[in-house]
Amino acid sequence: MYSNEVIKQEKKPLWRFGTKEVVYAAIGAALYAVVTWAFNVWQIPGAGNVGVRPAVVIPMFFGIAFGPIVGFITGFVGNILADLLSGYGFWVWWDIGNGIMGLIPGLFSVMLVDFKSLRSILLSEVSVVLGVLLGMGVAAFSEMWVSGADLNTVLVANFLPAFLTNVLWGLVLLPLLMVAYSAIVSQSGR
Amino acid sequence: MTMLVTWNYRYRNSLIDHVDPRARLIFSFAVLIAATSTWNPLLLAIIFFISISWYASAKLSWQDTKRGWLMISILLFTMIVVNTILTGGGAGGVVPEGGQLVWPAGFNLFGRHMTFGLTVERLWFAIAQLMRILSISLVFIMIPYTMDSRAYGVTFRKLGLPDRLAYTMELSFRFIPTLARNFQVTLDAQRARGFEMDSLKGGVLNKIKRIAPLIIPVTMNAIVSSEDIANAMDLRGFGQQKRSWLYELKYHWWDYVVIGFSVVLLGAVLYLAYRHSMRLFLVPQWWYGLFN
Repeated sequence: MYSNEVIKQEKKPLWRFGTKEVVYAAIGAALYAVVTWAFNVWQIPGAGNVGVRPAVVIPMFFGIAFGPIVGFITGFVGNILADLLSGYGFWVWWDIGNGIMGLIPGLFSVMLVDFKSLRSILLSEVSVVLGVLLGMGVAAFSEMWVSGADLNTVLVANFLPAFLTNVLWGLVLLPLLMVAYSAIVSQSGR
Repeated sequence: MTMLVTWNYRYRNSLIDHVDPRARLIFSFAVLIAATSTWNPLLLAIIFFISISWYASAKLSWQDTKRGWLMISILLFTMIVVNTILTGGGAGGVVPEGGQLVWPAGFNLFGRHMTFGLTVERLWFAIAQLMRILSISLVFIMIPYTMDSRAYGVTFRKLGLPDRLAYTMELSFRFIPTLARNFQVTLDAQRARGFEMDSLKGGVLNKIKRIAPLIIPVTMNAIVSSEDIANAMDLRGFGQQKRSWLYELKYHWWDYVVIGFSVVLLGAVLYLAYRHSMRLFLVPQWWYGLFN
């Protein structure tokens, strides 16, 4: 059983969701909620429903490090918890959008071996842009269906503020987290 | 900044407190789908009235929910006041071009003659939009205040989510106080080294520079500690058999009434919207009469 476990880890299966992934996803979601809640004071003036969230790097990083399911749950559940803590209610389309921001980098995780290499960092940066584009796109454009807002409103008030700030946080903070995690992995021999 | 994490839920002995969380979620999603299926003012008014009644039955105070309502006010202001009433862009695709002007001859403001292209149709659309967004907001904003945090995992499990996913949700609720404490400890440690996070001065890059020394150690500590938890769970045979839940849910007859009502509401709105052409936006004649 142990040897099978080792082989599975070496193969780094994309859709694995074992005990470790359950814990990583739960820790990631709780962390995303706590850090988001702590930074709630920074809101973007005039942008509906959108706050400045350095914590968005957490689902991206958990996706890169532990796969797409962990990334998705970190973003999806973490956003639900953050909104519950902040008293913002329950907005499932924004929760799904946050989940996608972790899912897309997670899909890139099989291509990344050494987190310190330039190739890995560049690939992870691409995954950040794609993840935020798709995630915030799904969340923001769902407002057209929910609120009956037109394309311009959704673009200006929802999509652009969320996309620009999240991409910025992700692009800057994700490589730092990857390098720090790489050092921990090499120290502990994981 | 102090990291005292508290859930917003407290028992208020309201009607909602006695309704099963599964029935509440089913009702909330029925309202969401019903409200987004139509622009008919009559149907939206009925859904709006049901949502207000549902919200009122939770006995929530303004003090409890003001933060959430502030966020919704910003959304409403942007979408309705700025985009539908002032610029008219927000009504695009739903309200036909042209229409009857509210002030066809213009009006005088501070001694100057002004013209404003607001139409009667756009004004009615703003009301319909307000009813739709508020209906959805009313049923969803109350969830954190009326649902016990211990109930989320088991609720999603009983609604069909796999055991592992439901348990992940349950576990994440339990990690929050620990992680909040770790965040506070890291923040204090960094402050002792001269780290300033509370200052809002500086541009975006300065802010990012200030955040990195906080987010990196907090995240790495969380990952390191999760290894021990996963090992402990494996040793106890996690995932080997079906889970039982400490917080148990049981349907009562009134829960079936709520679920039945949700199904009837959704079915009726969809039937009227798609079979009786009540899906599209229309302006009632009496509304035009107010501006003649």
